[in-house]
Amino acid sequence: MQMKTEIKNGLTVCYVEGEIDINTSPGVKKSFDKLISSKTPRIVVNLSKVTYVDSSGLATLVEILKNMRSYGGRLRLSDMSSKIKSLFEITKLEKLFEIIADEKEAVSTFV
Amino acid sequence: MTRSGPLEFLKRHKEPSGKTLIKVPSETRYINKVSSEILSGLARYGVDESRLFDIRLCVEEAVRNAMVHGNHCDKKLPVRTVYWVDNGVLNVEIADEGPGFDSTDVADPTLEPHMLKNSGRGVYLIKKLMDKIEYNEKGNKITMTKILK
Repeated sequence: MQMKTEIKNGLTVCYVEGEIDINTSPGVKKSFDKLISSKTPRIVVNLSKVTYVDSSGLATLVEILKNMRSYGGRLRLSDMSSKIKSLFEITKLEKLFEIIADEKEAVSTFV
Repeated sequence: MTRSGPLEFLKRHKEPSGKTLIKVPSETRYINKVSSEILSGLARYGVDESRLFDIRLCVEEAVRNAMVHGNHCDKKLPVRTVYWVDNGVLNVEIADEGPGFDSTDVADPTLEPHMLKNSGRGVYLIKKLMDKIEYNEKGNKITMTKILK
């Protein structure tokens, strides 16, 4: 798993690449801890290069969301593959997260 | 023969019945070795990507539960996985050495009070993505089936 961060339109966009599973989730959490500790207000996570997510990965994303909400931050997820999106639908996490089809829309409408 | 190195603990054995046994220690780094073994064993069946994703996910969730909740990550305790294909249906049995659990005790993670919790989604995903699952009476062995086409 790798993650790089860019600033676009004043927003933080995170590009996660690889698999988010029980073995890589701690690394994902650690990458976001830095952004959370500085109370980054709005983050878009582009998941286009994420090929696999398990329940640990879902739990990690929930944890990141909870931590951001604790200081009033907002998180959007974009560019999910249809398979990964289906996991959010099955687990009803789609109700919890702001899931946007693509990064461009996620950034341009994030106010 | 006793083998000592941790990597050597990974054992794969094809039984005369055509079933394959994979035995790994309770270390999470072995989880995807179990799923990889099964997926490579399915290569000749022409299974589509979506089903392969589901099978991988459910196997990994079940092996993870066996290691973490069943064997409490005790590296000396193995997780045994047996799989076979019968009439186009994949069967996977995953067993741990623990006292067993009652899957009906797992809270529904899709209900509002549990949605922010970190547990319960693995079992829920298995129930949703496999065609059939059952536990032995003790609750330390799950058998999952998935139609391959």
